Amino acid sequence: MSAGYRQQPGNSSSKRKDGKRVAGKQVFPPPGSGGSRPVMEPRDLNFIPESVGGKEPQPAGSHIHDRIRTGTVVGKSLQLVDSNAKVTGQAWYGDDVRLPNETIGKILRSPHHYAKIKSIDTSKVEALPGVISVATGKDAPHHFGVLPVTKDEHAMAVEKVRHMGDLVACVCAETEAIAIEALSLFEIEWELLEPVFDRKKGLEDVDEPIHWRGKYHLSKTNVQKRVFQEFGDRSLVDNPHASSHGKWSMEGVHHGFTEPHAVVAHWDANGRLQLYTPQQVPHYTHRALSTVLDVPMHQINVVRTFVGGGFGGKSDPFPHEMCAAILARKSGRPVRITFDREEVYWINRGRHPSDIEVKMTADDVGRISGFDIDALIDGGGFASFGHVTSYYNGVLATAPYELGSFHYTGARVWTNKPASGAMRGHGAVNTRCAVEVGLDEMAEQMNVDPIDLRLANLLPPHSRTITGFRITSNGMRDALEKVREGSNWDEKFRQMPLGKGIGVGCGFFISGSGLPIHWDPNRFPHATVHIQVDMDGGVTVHTGAADIGQGSTTAVAQVVAEVLALPIEMIHVRSHESDTSPVDLGSYSSRVTFMNANAAIRAALEIREQILKAAWDILGYHPNTLVLNDRRIYYKHDPSIGVSYLKALHKAQEDKGSLIASGAYRSPPMGGVHKGAAAGLAPAYSFSAYVAEVDVDVELGLVKCTNVWAAHDCGKALNPLAVKGQIIGSCHMGLGQVLSEKMVYGRTGHLQNANLLEYKIPSVHEMPHVEPIIIESCDPEGPFGAKEAGEGPLLPILPAVVNAVYDAIGVRYRDLPLTPDIVYKGIERKRKSMKLDDCLELPSPKLQHGPMQAELVARAAEHKLRDKARQRTEDTSHYVNGVLFGFDPNMPLEDQVDGWRMATEPDPEQLAELGLAGRAWLKKTQREMGDDS
Amino acid sequence: MMLMPPFTLHHPGSIEQAVSIASDLMSKGEEFDWVAGGTDVLPNYKWRINPKPHVISLAKIPEANQVTPYEIGCMTKLSTLKEENGIHPLIAEAASKIASSLIRKSATVGGNLCLDTRCFWYNQSEDWRRSIDWCHKADCGTGADCRVIPNQNTLCVATYQGDLAPNFMALGAQVTLIGPEGERTIALSEFYQLDGMKKNVLLPGEFMLKVTLPKDSFDYTGSYQKLRVRESWDFPEAGVSAVWKKGDYSTLRIASTALESIPKTHEEQVSPLAAAWQKGTSLSELSDAVRKSVKPVNNTALPPNYRKSVVRILTKRALKNIGCE
Repeated sequence: MSAGYRQQPGNSSSKRKDGKRVAGKQVFPPPGSGGSRPVMEPRDLNFIPESVGGKEPQPAGSHIHDRIRTGTVVGKSLQLVDSNAKVTGQAWYGDDVRLPNETIGKILRSPHHYAKIKSIDTSKVEALPGVISVATGKDAPHHFGVLPVTKDEHAMAVEKVRHMGDLVACVCAETEAIAIEALSLFEIEWELLEPVFDRKKGLEDVDEPIHWRGKYHLSKTNVQKRVFQEFGDRSLVDNPHASSHGKWSMEGVHHGFTEPHAVVAHWDANGRLQLYTPQQVPHYTHRALSTVLDVPMHQINVVRTFVGGGFGGKSDPFPHEMCAAILARKSGRPVRITFDREEVYWINRGRHPSDIEVKMTADDVGRISGFDIDALIDGGGFASFGHVTSYYNGVLATAPYELGSFHYTGARVWTNKPASGAMRGHGAVNTRCAVEVGLDEMAEQMNVDPIDLRLANLLPPHSRTITGFRITSNGMRDALEKVREGSNWDEKFRQMPLGKGIGVGCGFFISGSGLPIHWDPNRFPHATVHIQVDMDGGVTVHTGAADIGQGSTTAVAQVVAEVLALPIEMIHVRSHESDTSPVDLGSYSSRVTFMNANAAIRAALEIREQILKAAWDILGYHPNTLVLNDRRIYYKHDPSIGVSYLKALHKAQEDKGSLIASGAYRSPPMGGVHKGAAAGLAPAYSFSAYVAEVDVDVELGLVKCTNVWAAHDCGKALNPLAVKGQIIGSCHMGLGQVLSEKMVYGRTGHLQNANLLEYKIPSVHEMPHVEPIIIESCDPEGPFGAKEAGEGPLLPILPAVVNAVYDAIGVRYRDLPLTPDIVYKGIERKRKSMKLDDCLELPSPKLQHGPMQAELVARAAEHKLRDKARQRTEDTSHYVNGVLFGFDPNMPLEDQVDGWRMATEPDPEQLAELGLAGRAWLKKTQREMGDDS
Repeated sequence: MMLMPPFTLHHPGSIEQAVSIASDLMSKGEEFDWVAGGTDVLPNYKWRINPKPHVISLAKIPEANQVTPYEIGCMTKLSTLKEENGIHPLIAEAASKIASSLIRKSATVGGNLCLDTRCFWYNQSEDWRRSIDWCHKADCGTGADCRVIPNQNTLCVATYQGDLAPNFMALGAQVTLIGPEGERTIALSEFYQLDGMKKNVLLPGEFMLKVTLPKDSFDYTGSYQKLRVRESWDFPEAGVSAVWKKGDYSTLRIASTALESIPKTHEEQVSPLAAAWQKGTSLSELSDAVRKSVKPVNNTALPPNYRKSVVRILTKRALKNIGCE
C-alpha cells in the first residue's frame, strides 16, 4: 500500500496562463459531490469544542461527543431543511394528497352527549346516488387506544356515544356535497343516558359509567385513573415558617394547530393499505390500524405527510384514520377525509381542564419542607394519554427544587366531553403554574426575593429528585441568573407603579420518556436510524422521527452532517413512510432530538469508521491521526496529506457497494421501583426560567404581557435559531393559556367556541417582545450535549405572568385564563375590601427584605460553587433530594429518618384528609367489592 | 374546511338592475341576500346559517362605490376609511379597530352597518344547532325557544357587534336605502330595530346605498372605545363612542354598541347632564348613567355583568379623550 500522495490543499497560488497545472503543484480536485462549492471549507474552530483543541467555550465541561465534532453545522443557526418546501407551498400536508379516482369521506357525529345506539338504518344513505360506501361501528369491532393499558376507543361508536361529536358512522361519496347530504339520511334510534360534565361529579357513583373496566373499575364512578404518592419526611410540614395554599381552576385548552386533521386511505393493487396522515406518531397509527382492520402490520404503509402543527394533538391514533381505511377497503377506491375546525375541537386531545390544589410549606431557614398537590383532571370521553397525565400532574413538579416531602393525589375522570390528551408540556403545565405561584406567595410571607428563594433551594446537577428521577445536566441556576440580569429584575420587582408588574417562573420537563410505551426497553431500542451512502456521496438517512415543524428532520440531518463533515445539503432525510423508516416512537414527550439524533450519531459513526478505514488504506495513516473535514480527510500533522471524501468513500465501497449503517438509542436503566416510578422518568431533563413583564389596565382588567426574558437549558443548542423559535413559540402558546384561551362548555354541556374566532389564540398584537436566552448545560448523554427545547419552554410563562400580575396590582389569581372579567372581578373585590372609591388608588405590593434574605443569598452562593463542581464532574459524589435537610446521600433515607415515607397508596387514617382528587381513594374497585368478573 | 352551500350569484351593474333582480326574485318567491364584502354573510353561509339560493352582489353598482368625506358608498372598503382619504378621524379610528387588516380589505361600510347580530347559540354549525334543537333566531320551523333567555321567544337577543354604527350615529349620519318601493333617507339612529332577527328597518328587496354625514360633522371631535380580548379579529364586546364640538356641552353625543341587539344613542342620559355640566362629577354621573342604560346578555365571549360594568370606564375614557371632563 502506498503512503498516499501529497497534494496542496486549496488552489495553487501561481497560475499558468494556458490554464494547465503548474508542474509539481496539484490542483485540489473537486471534492465529493459538493457541486457549486468545489473548494474545501476550512475547519471552523469557533464551533469545535475547547476540549479537542477548538475555540468553542465549554463552561459546563466537556462531552463524550466532542471528539466527533467537525465544526460543520452543530451549534450554527441554520434554516430548517424543509423550510423551502413550506415557504414555497410545495410541502404536502394531509389534505394535499390527491389520488386518482378519490372519493370524499364524511363522518356522522353524535348530536347527543351520552346515548346508546339502539339501531342504525343506513338503507336510505346507500340508496342515495353518488354514495359509494357506508360504514358503522359494526365494521370495526376492535378497540384501540394510544396507550396499551387503556384501549377504549373504536373507529365508530359500537354501543354508545360518549360526547357530542363522537363518531357514529361514516360515508364516502363521489363529491363532498353528496357525502354531506348522505349524513342526513342515517336513521338512528337513540336511548339517551344521563351525561356527566362536571369533573367533580365524575368521582361519584352513577348508573352508567362512561366506560367499564370490569374488576378494575372503581366502584361505579367515572374515575379512569387515580394516583397516590407520598415521599419524604412528613413531620417537616408541621409548624411551617411560611405556607401557601391555593385552589386553582384551569380551563381546558386546545393545541390550535393550523392544519386540521386529514387522511387519505387507499388499498393498492396488491391489497396493501397506503394511509396518508399528518401524524406525530405514525407508528401508533400503524399498530392501531393493524388491530382495528385485522391486517398484519407489514400489509400497511403509513405515510406521514407534512404536519401543519401537532403540539400533541396529532399523536393519538385517530378514529377517522380507521374510518378512511374501512371506507377505502369497502369501496376499493381512495378515500379522503378532511376535518373542518369544529371537528378538530371535537376530537380535541387538548390540555385537561383541571382543579388543582397546592399546599406548600417552608421552614425557618427557607427550605421547602412540604409540597402537596391534588389534581383532579377532566379527561373527557376517552383515556387517550390520560393515564400518564394523571402522574405527570404531580411527579413533574418534584424538581428543580429540593423538597422535604412530597404528597400527591391525582385522579382523572371521564366526562361526556371531547377527550383531553397530550399537549405541549404534557401534564406539567398546570401544576407548574400553581407551584411557582405558591413559591412567590411564600417568598412574600418570608420577605425575601422569590428568585433568591428559588436559587437557595435548587437540586444540583447529577442528583436525584425525591421520587427518584435521575437528574444529569442542570442549567436551572444559570437560567435564573440570566433572566434576573436580563430583565433588570432587582430594579423592578415590587418597585413599579400600580398596573406594571414583573414576575418569575421556572420550568422542568422531560427530555424523552424513559419508557417506550409499547415495549420493554431491554428488548428493543427507543429509536433506530439507518444511513445509506451511495457512489454519488450523498447520504440518505432513514428515520421514523416525525417532523411536526419542530425541526427533527433538520436535527437529524445536522448531526449526520457534523459527524461526517459534509455540507448539510448532502444529507437527505427520508422519514415519511413506514415502509422505508425504521420503527420510531414518533414526536412526543420531547424525545426526538435526544433519542433520534443519538441513534443517528451512532449510525453516522459507523459510516465514519468505514470511510476513515478506507482513508487509512489510501494514506497509510491510522484513523486516530486523521482529521475529517469538509469533504476531505487529511493527516493531522500535515494537512497537505489527504484524500477527498469521495475517493475515500469509493475505496470503502470497493467490496460492498453502498455503505449502510444502523444506529440505535436506548435509555440507560434508571428510576425507582415503586408503582408509577416510570412516569416522568427521562434520560435527561430540561430546565427553564422566565421573567415576564405585564401592563394591567387596572380599570378594565385587561392584561398585556409586554416583555419576556426566556432562558431555557437545552443542553446544547444544535441549531440556536430553531431553539429560539421553540422558545418564542412556547411563549406564545403559554400566553394563550394564561390570558385568553379556553374551551368553553355552556350550561348544556356543548362546546361553545369550536372555532378560531371565539377560541382566542393571541394574535401578533398580544405577543410580547421575547428575549430568548439559551443555556447550555451540556448533557452527558444528549447528542453533542443537547436536550429538549420543544415543550419545557412553555411551562414558565404561565406562572411568570400570574406572578407579574400580582406584582402589578396585588391580586393573586387562581383561575386561568386571566380573561379581563376574571381580573376585573379580583380588582373589584380587593377595592371593596380596602374600602377604596377608585381601583386606581389600590396599593401595589412592596418588598422590604427580611432577615432571611441574607441567609438565602449566602446559601445560594454556596450552592452555586457546589453546582459548578458537580456540573463539570469535578465533584462526583452522590447527591439525592434530602441532603439539604441534612441527610447522608450514601444511605437510604428511610434508614436515617423514622418518618421517611415512600408510599403509593394512602394509609387508612389518611383517607379522611385527602383532597378533591384524593377522594377517589375512598372508593373500592369492583374486585375489592367482590366482583371478580 | 366547510363546504359553501350552492347559490346563484347576481352581479347588477346599476341600482336599477339590482332593484329589478330583487323584485324579480321576490315575485317568484325566491329568497336572496345582498352581499357587499361578504366577510359576514359568506362565513355564515358556510355554517349553514340561513343560506339563500340567490345572492345579489352590490360590487358593480357605481354609486355604491363612491366615497367622499361626506358620502360614503356602502361598498367602500373598511381599509379605505383612512384620514388621508378625507375620512372623518373618528370613522377612521373606528374602522382601524375592526377585525384584522386582511378582513378590512374585503369588508365594507354597508356590510358593517348591516352586520348580522351574533350569539354563541346561533353562530354555530348546523350540526351543533341541531343538537340544541335550534334556537329562536334560526328555528328551522320548529318554533324553538331562545337559548340565551329560556322561555321567551318573542324577541331575539342576539348582539349587534358592529363598530362603525355608534360612531356614525354619534356624528348624526343618515343612510340612504333603495328598494322596489323607491329611495328613502333616514337617520342611522332610526335604522336599527330592537330585535336580533329583524335587526333593522330594511324592507324586502331594499338595500343600503350610502351613508351621509352632516355638513358640520367635521366640527366634531370624537373618540371610540372598544373592548375586546385581542387587538385583532375580535368583535367588540362593548363599544362606546363620544363626540362633541370641543367645549360645547350642548353638542355632546354618546352612542354604544355590542351591548344589545342594536347600537344605540344615549341622548336620554346625556341631555340632562350636558345642560348643567359640573366638572368632575358630571363625568362620572354620565358614565354611570350610560352603564345603567344598557342590558347586555350572556351570548358573547365575555360575561354580561362585566361588559355592563366596564361601559362606565369606556364612557369615561371616551369623554376624557375628547377633552370633556
